[in-house]
Amino acid sequence: MALDLSMPILVVDDYQTMVRIIRNLLKQLGFEDVDDASDGTAALARLKGRKYGLVISDWNMEPMTGYELLRHVRADEGLRTTPFIMVTAESKTENVIAAKKAGVNNYIVKPFNAATLKSKIEAVCGA
Amino acid sequence: MRSTASARDARSQTSNPSVMVKELLDIADYISNLRDAIALLRANELTRDRLPMVHEELSEVVAATAGATDSIMGAAETILGLPDGPGYRAAVEARIYDIFEACAFQDITGQRIGKVAEAMSQLEGRLARFSSAVKARDASGIDELEVDRRTRNESLLLNGPQKGGPATAQDAIDALFA
Repeated sequence: MALDLSMPILVVDDYQTMVRIIRNLLKQLGFEDVDDASDGTAALARLKGRKYGLVISDWNMEPMTGYELLRHVRADEGLRTTPFIMVTAESKTENVIAAKKAGVNNYIVKPFNAATLKSKIEAVCGA
Repeated sequence: MRSTASARDARSQTSNPSVMVKELLDIADYISNLRDAIALLRANELTRDRLPMVHEELSEVVAATAGATDSIMGAAETILGLPDGPGYRAAVEARIYDIFEACAFQDITGQRIGKVAEAMSQLEGRLARFSSAVKARDASGIDELEVDRRTRNESLLLNGPQKGGPATAQDAIDALFA
């Protein structure tokens, strides 16, 4: 299955620089429809208002972390199938395992490169 | 019976003028040393000059880092958007010089961080000397804000970046998702 480059993607990170980096990488991959949110609460509000094909989220944010956002998404009947990739500096194995148990589709450790992001999107959204 | 005897001894000692004088001299010495230790702490100078300077320098570092990142990313985005053509190389070179210029922030922020480290070292030395002089002991008890912070960090697995790079390599993570 080829990647659907028209699918809307939600990037969640409290650092605008990281949002900008991910936006640019997604643009290089051909994705043009990208929204962003600065924490889990703002992301959840956006997710309630629009159907996204993918969420790319940081872990460590205030007030709602990416881990809490993931659990909210997976607990919501209307959102639970939304593909979710965690992009984070939280690299302890306990974090990866907890995210996997909570239903994350893939996990990228910062810093990362375009090839890693591309391969994870392909793995999650189907290539 | 023993406590009555001890009380009698204490009364006997305190009623002895030479013992009382020695104790008062010891207390006077302690107070004098304490005043010296407090003076050496130079708390007014710390709160008036050093600590505000630390805040200012760190704020400048944050601002300079954000500004440099913005300039570098702006230049990179411009390069990505340049059309092919005869002026391409010159336009790329111009943006690369912008990147070089923006990277100069590292020299300046390095100097600012050096000043912060020096101030922290001063503070550490003075507190250590003060603590030793007054034989300070930390108060027991619970700092509720700190307990709340730790509880939240533990429950949400907020470990932060690890020293020396990621604790788990991307390859190992990929294996978990294979």
